[in-house]
Amino acid sequence: MSVTAPTTLRERPPRGPRRTRSGRSLVGYLTMPVFLVLVGVVLYLYVHAQDLDSIEVRSLNASRLTKAVWESVQLTVVSTVLVIAIAVPLGVLLTRPFTRRIRPYILAVFNIGQAIPTIGIFVLLAVAFLFLGFKAAIVGLVLYTVVPVLLNTMVGLEQVDDSILEAGRGMGISKFGVLRTIELPLSIPIILAGVRTALIINVGTATLATYINAGGTGDIIVAGLSTNRTLVQIVGAVLTAMLALFIDYLAGVAEDLLRPKGL
Amino acid sequence: MTNQEGSVSVMKRKTTTLAALAIVLGLALTGCGSDSSAGGGGTGDGTGGKLAGADLTVGSKEFTESILLAKITAQVLKNAGASITDKTGISGSATVREALKASEIDMYWDYTGTGWVNILGHTTTDVPKDLYQAVSTEDLKKNNVAWLEPAPFEDTYRIAVASEFAKGNDLKTMSDAAGYVKAHPDNGAVCAASEFINRDDGLPGLEKAYGLKFSNVVELDLGLVYTQIGKKCPFGEVFSTDGRIISNNLTVLEDDKNFFVEYRGALTLRKETLDKFPAIADIMAPVSAALTNKVITDLNAKVDVDGQKPQDVASKWLADEGLLG
Repeated sequence: MSVTAPTTLRERPPRGPRRTRSGRSLVGYLTMPVFLVLVGVVLYLYVHAQDLDSIEVRSLNASRLTKAVWESVQLTVVSTVLVIAIAVPLGVLLTRPFTRRIRPYILAVFNIGQAIPTIGIFVLLAVAFLFLGFKAAIVGLVLYTVVPVLLNTMVGLEQVDDSILEAGRGMGISKFGVLRTIELPLSIPIILAGVRTALIINVGTATLATYINAGGTGDIIVAGLSTNRTLVQIVGAVLTAMLALFIDYLAGVAEDLLRPKGL
Repeated sequence: MTNQEGSVSVMKRKTTTLAALAIVLGLALTGCGSDSSAGGGGTGDGTGGKLAGADLTVGSKEFTESILLAKITAQVLKNAGASITDKTGISGSATVREALKASEIDMYWDYTGTGWVNILGHTTTDVPKDLYQAVSTEDLKKNNVAWLEPAPFEDTYRIAVASEFAKGNDLKTMSDAAGYVKAHPDNGAVCAASEFINRDDGLPGLEKAYGLKFSNVVELDLGLVYTQIGKKCPFGEVFSTDGRIISNNLTVLEDDKNFFVEYRGALTLRKETLDKFPAIADIMAPVSAALTNKVITDLNAKVDVDGQKPQDVASKWLADEGLLG
């Protein structure tokens, strides 16, 4: 990825969810949940019809699977909330005129965070700092997903037409007021697109957390891989995929709800 | 190029890479399916003297010991006149085995315990007395894969502790460890990798056999376990011949109840290859016999600790032992 300063950020939004607000009917909203329930039922029936050996039973039971999925949800949600808390304010700061000079350097630092594979960060934390478990996993995930949210925040803020901002200022609204009532609302769709990307990256990357004792659906996948039990691998992978689709669906709904009227 | 376009193009590149990977995987899978006979392309006189004209591919799993054993094998067979293709370092036990069956490779070292549990699908509760005999007979009959005489070394699961900790608490055997964990329930965590945690002949069975319950199971990547023993956890899973036992100053606890399944290394190859070149068995026998626990641990340490190349370690050892004569 290029680390040059985003001088002309307004060229193209990264992910253009240009769905109209009324674009999704009730059926549209129900499709994904129904699909996921169907997949879940099929998976359950399929696993149930198999003769499980002792190794498979150890991984494929309700309590272990629920625990793994719950751990994945926690990893994803906590890391994404932290990412939003870091990236959005930072994005706001970096689009203010007074930070123009340091902008390229800060972006370069965060780009490095994304350039290092998450598993590398995990191992580094474990070996160099004896830092393991949930918190270490969160650090790895956050470092990896700050960039998409940060960039989308900046793009979102920069694409707001200058004339609107000038009009706002001309009406006597303070700089902060313009930011709060005009810039941020207008850039929400693009910021949310970045958050959605971060969520999905985090669901997938969280499977690596199993290597540093942070659990998640990666536990199931790796248990299947290391013991050569294909069924266990499939269950772990399908659960991860279902979780990703479901979280993406929820983020999509949130996007529809939070998008300002008229956009 | 703006940053945004940058990240978009990265995305695109990722998808193309993924697509390429999928295609390659697809090809590899179809390759596995087709039962084309390759490998021993040589004429093979079959008189059992030399391997002149033999064209053999030696494979291995991805870890040091497996690679070392493959390099040793390759050099010995080459010395006997065979021309060798090196395909060492294939990731995953199951993958290497598939490669052998699909004639992608002609031989690799496997372990009796792996054969019994992973390949032949038995459980660890019905392990026969002579494990090698049982595995080699059944694998030959079922899958046409021959197991040569195993080496004396045993690369099996063990629990290790930091040497100081062992001395301070007088820990020598697993029974000692069980006693310690019972007496110090707040300091009884074990670091282990996924496979050990999930296998019947790993943690679940071990705890049952010794009436022991580790206070906490810390699941880590296997490579991290060695570095965390004595730090995050007093106990940890190790492989008994791993060189990192030496470098991390660990003490391996004796399995006084003989719980762990025997994992003796043996060269495995397709029956057709052995039939074509029966001399392989005779050539490998003395080499295999020389590979004791101490020898292989030292060789592993030379690679993992001293950073030497497996290739060089193998040839130096063979030369020192006079096995290329």
